[in-house]
Amino acid sequence: MASERRYDPVTGQYTTGHQWDGIEELSTPLPRWWVISLVVCFIIAIIYAFLYPAWPTTKTYYTGLLGWTSHSELAEYQTEARAGQAHWREQIAANTVGDIAASDDLRTFAVAGGKALFNENCAGCHGIGAGGQQGQFPSLIDDDWLWGGTLDDIYQTVTHGIRNTDESSRQSEMPSFKDMMSEEEIAATAKFVLAMSDTSVSAETRNAMPGAELYTNNCAGCHGAEGEGMRMMGVPALADQIWLYGETEEAIRNQIVRPKMGSMPAWGGRLGDDAVKMLSVYVHSLGGGEK
Amino acid sequence: MHTHASTALGHASAQRAPRTGTPHAATGRFRQVKTALTVFLLGLYYIVPWVRWTRGGESSQAVMFDASAQRFYFFGLEFWPHDLPLLLGLLIFSAAALFFVTSLFGRVWCGFACPQTVWTDLFFAIDRRVDRMLGRDHPLGQWAKTGVHVVVAIFTGFTFAGFFTNIVELGPQFISGQASIVAYVTVGVLTFTTYTLAAHARENVCLHMCPWPRFQAALLDPESLVVTYQNWRGEPRARARVPLRPEIATLDSSAYIMPRVATASVAGSSAATTYRGDCIDCGKCVSSCPTRIDIREGLQLGCIGCGLCIDACNTVMERIGRPHGLINMAPELSSVGGCAGKSGRIRLFRAKPMFFASIMMVTGSAMAWALATRSDVNAAVEHQRQPPFVKLSDGSIRNDYTLRFSRLGVHDSNVEIRVEGLDGAAIRLSNSAQASFTQGARRSFSDRVMVTVPKGSVPKVRVPIAFVITDRETRAPVARLETYFWGPGGVR
Ligand code: SF4
Ligand code: SF4
Repeated sequence: MASERRYDPVTGQYTTGHQWDGIEELSTPLPRWWVISLVVCFIIAIIYAFLYPAWPTTKTYYTGLLGWTSHSELAEYQTEARAGQAHWREQIAANTVGDIAASDDLRTFAVAGGKALFNENCAGCHGIGAGGQQGQFPSLIDDDWLWGGTLDDIYQTVTHGIRNTDESSRQSEMPSFKDMMSEEEIAATAKFVLAMSDTSVSAETRNAMPGAELYTNNCAGCHGAEGEGMRMMGVPALADQIWLYGETEEAIRNQIVRPKMGSMPAWGGRLGDDAVKMLSVYVHSLGGGEK
Repeated sequence: MHTHASTALGHASAQRAPRTGTPHAATGRFRQVKTALTVFLLGLYYIVPWVRWTRGGESSQAVMFDASAQRFYFFGLEFWPHDLPLLLGLLIFSAAALFFVTSLFGRVWCGFACPQTVWTDLFFAIDRRVDRMLGRDHPLGQWAKTGVHVVVAIFTGFTFAGFFTNIVELGPQFISGQASIVAYVTVGVLTFTTYTLAAHARENVCLHMCPWPRFQAALLDPESLVVTYQNWRGEPRARARVPLRPEIATLDSSAYIMPRVATASVAGSSAATTYRGDCIDCGKCVSSCPTRIDIREGLQLGCIGCGLCIDACNTVMERIGRPHGLINMAPELSSVGGCAGKSGRIRLFRAKPMFFASIMMVTGSAMAWALATRSDVNAAVEHQRQPPFVKLSDGSIRNDYTLRFSRLGVHDSNVEIRVEGLDGAAIRLSNSAQASFTQGARRSFSDRVMVTVPKGSVPKVRVPIAFVITDRETRAPVARLETYFWGPGGVR
């Protein structure tokens, strides 16, 4: 196999001396530019390893001369992004929710920001599209509001929440009528309540129902003589088509016996006032917002 | 073909004239065409960004890729990102045109119009001019050349950036250091590439980097006109004092048409030792070749079809009193006295060129049609799926949609939206009770659109509807967008 290295006049190179069936191998040197690039790469790699975190040590790691971390890089990006939005954020801070919604540019910014905030913080209960969840969390895009649907109402609700420990939280409680009414009375009341929202039942027929008087005595105080509800106290309207906890007679009976009432955390302290303003403007823009 | 390639790349060094970095200047018809084209193309490149155009009452740039606004302006035309298919059409058309021309005339693109060729030619001209002014061996010659190269490269890079921003404003900003980082990087990169490719790499781009030579052979056919050394006429080569072969002495066919001497014998059939062909082996064709190849070895990978060797050789032929066309544009086979095609004529209507021409026709007319019927409106409506519908307190059902709307041109849009295909439907935007809006020119409108149907007429399942957008002033329909309205039953 091995023979003498020889000079090959055609290529101007020496052979390696290897030979297979008369086929020889040239020992053409690597191109100079290639070798230089390789060496430069090595040098860069070494410099790099000193500048950036590169080696583990027994307990921690070598942090590099530049002190770079991916975390600090992220923080930098965030600071930059915040600085870019500073102009808008200042205006959000300086204006009331009403003013924000009245200005086209500010509203656009608030709706975009509010959407991101909503998906992160609120969608868990109210759903990505704010459609709510039957039996649990109210829809925020319909026109039925428990605690009011103006910008200020929404802002107040989001800031302080509902039935929680916040001092200004929305508070109210529906009593259980389990011990105050007999089962028959409860059933009759439920029937009457259902009829209130049934537009095909005339007022006369309804008022002649046995539950009519029971309703007037026990329920009308809060839910209103015509079932219109009372937003001050978060009392749902009964004469409309929206039933958070179900529109069957059984569901209504259950609600009279073991009332379910939602609660919501106060977001003002968690997210800050600006975020709550943006959230409120966003929720208000979803279709149910009231003037 | 392998031998051709290897001679083009390796062997040429043995034969060509000492390399000065710049080939000898040739004069003749090809040189004139090439110069004219170079001046025209470079002129286009350097001047077009400076052309102003009034757009929407404001003075603006006639040709500009506005990256930040995602617009491309071309004189009176304005393109948006959704016009991208037109770009695709243009690219297909250009490729077909390139193939078409190549199948007829070989690599005229390479020889005359390719940016690599055009800028290299410009830099050759600079080198020659400096040599003429300072003398060939002036110690500062290379410095002077490099200086001019760098200045031209910077200006080239600057002009390139000028296609993406207002070049009139860019100038002062650039010099005073106030232009954006992106502008400096763009100018820097283009300066670097121009300088390295045109001042240093030159023909090596054509020989080693460019993929085009590798498959151009597939586009040629036996009748394609390519730069061809007429072997039957030129061989054997010898010094001028050697007498000419008698059978070609009477040759008078001149210039660029294919000779009809189909019976000519090749390579000195008659007493090669005492007679010569037309080639006096002066080497002018090699020394004037920008890729440093010897065309006398036949059609080869390194030849960019610039025709400068034709000019050089024709000059020599004139000097020794022989007809033009020892090197000419002719079918490759003519070189050995062969005929092109069955009839011996060069036909225009042949399979390959016609195939490419038909692609050009199809894409060209499709693009013309698309451009002519191009809608100036870009509108889309998207149904909100979370939740697909909302029940309101009076029992009516509402569906929400996201509408996006933008319109070409310089005028504000004042439009209104109607719903078609849904009885009793009311439509409104998120922040108003109406469904009309005014949108400033060149801005996109996007909003939540709500369609409510009263309890009595709510469809049970999903039904197709359409949004009709009309101009409020002219009452003209602007767009019609089809979508669905979801009833409580969902999809049937
Ligand atoms: S320029 Fe013409 S005559 Fe001179 S070597 Fe080339 S082919 Fe022969
Ligand atoms: S061989 Fe002739 S046509 Fe081809 S590149 Fe050289 S000078 Fe141009």
